[in-house]
Amino acid sequence: MELADFKAAVDDWLDAHEGDLAPTFAGIGTLDEQMAQLRKVMRLTYDAGFMRMGWPARVGGLEGSNLLRAYLGETLTARDLVEPGIYSMPEVLAPTMIDYAPPELAAAMVPRLLRGEEIWCQGFSEPGTGSNLASLACRATRTDAGWRINGQKVWTSLAQYAQRCVLLTRTGTTASAHKGITALFVDMDSAGITVRPIETMHGAQEFCEVFFDDVVVPLDRVLGEVDRGWSIAMDLLPYERSTALWHRAAYLRRRLEQLVAASPPGTLDPVAVGQATELLWAFRARSRATQRRLAAGETLGAETSVDKVLVATAEQAVFDLVGEGLGVEVTLGDDPASQRWRAEFLYSRAATIYGGSAEIQRNIIARRLLELGADR
Amino acid sequence: MEATERVLFEGSVRHATSNADGAALDDAMEELGWRDALQADRAAAVSVLFECQGVTTTDSAALDWLLAGALGAPTDRTAVVLPSLRETSAPGRLDGGRCLVRGLASAALDRCDRVLVVIEGADGADGADGATVVGVEARQLERRRVHGLDQSLGLFEVAGEFELTVVASSRSTDWPSTLALGQLALGHQLVGSGRTMLEQARTHALERTQFGRPIGSFQAVRHRLAESLVALEAAAALLDAAWDDPSPVTAAMAKAFAGRSARTVARHCQQVLAGIGFTTEHPLHRSVRRTIVLDQLLGAGSVLTRTLGADILSSAALPAAFPL
Repeated sequence: MELADFKAAVDDWLDAHEGDLAPTFAGIGTLDEQMAQLRKVMRLTYDAGFMRMGWPARVGGLEGSNLLRAYLGETLTARDLVEPGIYSMPEVLAPTMIDYAPPELAAAMVPRLLRGEEIWCQGFSEPGTGSNLASLACRATRTDAGWRINGQKVWTSLAQYAQRCVLLTRTGTTASAHKGITALFVDMDSAGITVRPIETMHGAQEFCEVFFDDVVVPLDRVLGEVDRGWSIAMDLLPYERSTALWHRAAYLRRRLEQLVAASPPGTLDPVAVGQATELLWAFRARSRATQRRLAAGETLGAETSVDKVLVATAEQAVFDLVGEGLGVEVTLGDDPASQRWRAEFLYSRAATIYGGSAEIQRNIIARRLLELGADR
Repeated sequence: MEATERVLFEGSVRHATSNADGAALDDAMEELGWRDALQADRAAAVSVLFECQGVTTTDSAALDWLLAGALGAPTDRTAVVLPSLRETSAPGRLDGGRCLVRGLASAALDRCDRVLVVIEGADGADGADGATVVGVEARQLERRRVHGLDQSLGLFEVAGEFELTVVASSRSTDWPSTLALGQLALGHQLVGSGRTMLEQARTHALERTQFGRPIGSFQAVRHRLAESLVALEAAAALLDAAWDDPSPVTAAMAKAFAGRSARTVARHCQQVLAGIGFTTEHPLHRSVRRTIVLDQLLGAGSVLTRTLGADILSSAALPAAFPL
């Protein structure tokens, strides 16, 4: 289906099913409510066919360009039907499965993810492994019974809801760094997994610690090749910095629009509003160009770090304005709308930290795009 | 323009701007058919040439050709009076039966016989409201060659006062749409200027050694250069998207953002180049000067941004967003 036809079809369908799709809660809701809303929207859009478009037929998709997925997420976010952060996780995890899982495993699992039947998480960071991902230590040892896993992950989004985890493990020596990492597809109900949610500053339990104590994972759950998991992580990160960011642009635009409508006269500086709008439009332009390159079959790489720096900068610029224009609501308000502005204002402070910090993105840009050589 | 055709075109324009400036660059543009390209694919012709002019700190009559064409006039040996520095309003106004002109002109004025002046608020010969463009003899305007901050750009300050009866031609025109094209052109030129500053600072960071290692190995330096690249790529993306629908609002946003980005790049690169970058023995100062002037030509970036913000606040609505 062409993009223009898809846009018309999906928007007609969303208009017609507005009541079925609408959230049942006011404001930001609890994370449980957001997850229930996400599952509902994904199931309905999957069953209507829209969620399957832009994905390959071998994982239950209906084929077509990635632009269809980009638009679906954009319009769902612009209509405030889903929270873009949790909605976009399949944009990161499904391509990894499609590219690296055994075909029958991908065929069985990806439809469950896209239909909202399952939530998946991404086990990358560890207590001692933040920006330096290649130093990860969560150990996987090959035994006759399967891979035996011992270690800990942290900042694992939605682990308490997840049925599966794309887990990076250490299979070589610690000194092997990026050469001794293996990616495994782990069932979260396996014996020996303990999940402990972490309460964040913005009042959600989105991130978790995950402990692995002698967890056994079948040998056929390796994604890609043993000891080659680093390339999976490297291929996955550009996905995290492409379609998901286009969805986020739609969210930021909606919130900026709502902010200028809701701010009392005189609370916002026209220069700051102009600068934030220009920056957000520039980020959208950049993200659109990235979507088009992806649609043209190009492989995304380090240049998506530019997109990531831009989204983080734009998000903080927009919410810096929220802190001014709706400073009273953010600081004192306890109604659902104010609680939501406050939570999102606080969450925006993390935009330069998660998903590869602002500093790591600049390191990547310096090394890979500007070719400045090693940094020591 | 097809992809392969565009690569060839870019190559020719890059070669021309690397080897010629001013009148010689006009000739080179004629030879490679830039004005035909402008007719065939305006976005490609403008973005390629103006970015190259920014990269090489050169200038030609292309801005005059672009604006004269947009005003529906013949472009040969024709200059277009630009608004005064930092301003966007048309350079001409009516005072009784007389036309008062005050503004700037590009260095190409020296090579032109005819000058186009847009007069705000006048009725055109065809009776329509809005702005009118009139053509006058170049010698009817007083001119002063500007030395100023960027002498090599060769701008003129122009002023004049004449009876409308001496006007050779007049017609109604849409000044904001014409201005928008000029703003996009200057936006690309600013990005090009930024790219040269970044390349100069990058080279210096690789070659200059302190504490026994290239300064480009220090994170403080790397992050300034990374920040510069982000600013330029974002500005280039916004300019490219603005060509979808070069409306006055999107063009002003793209130009202002390109100016702010180029000035960010100037600040970071001047710091990385440090002492040598503050001398005239290094070429950086040429791009820094050009950036500061271009950021204020056809509307100062800071003013455009403030206007955008004020319009958003008064209408409580955001500008149109280009679709996926």
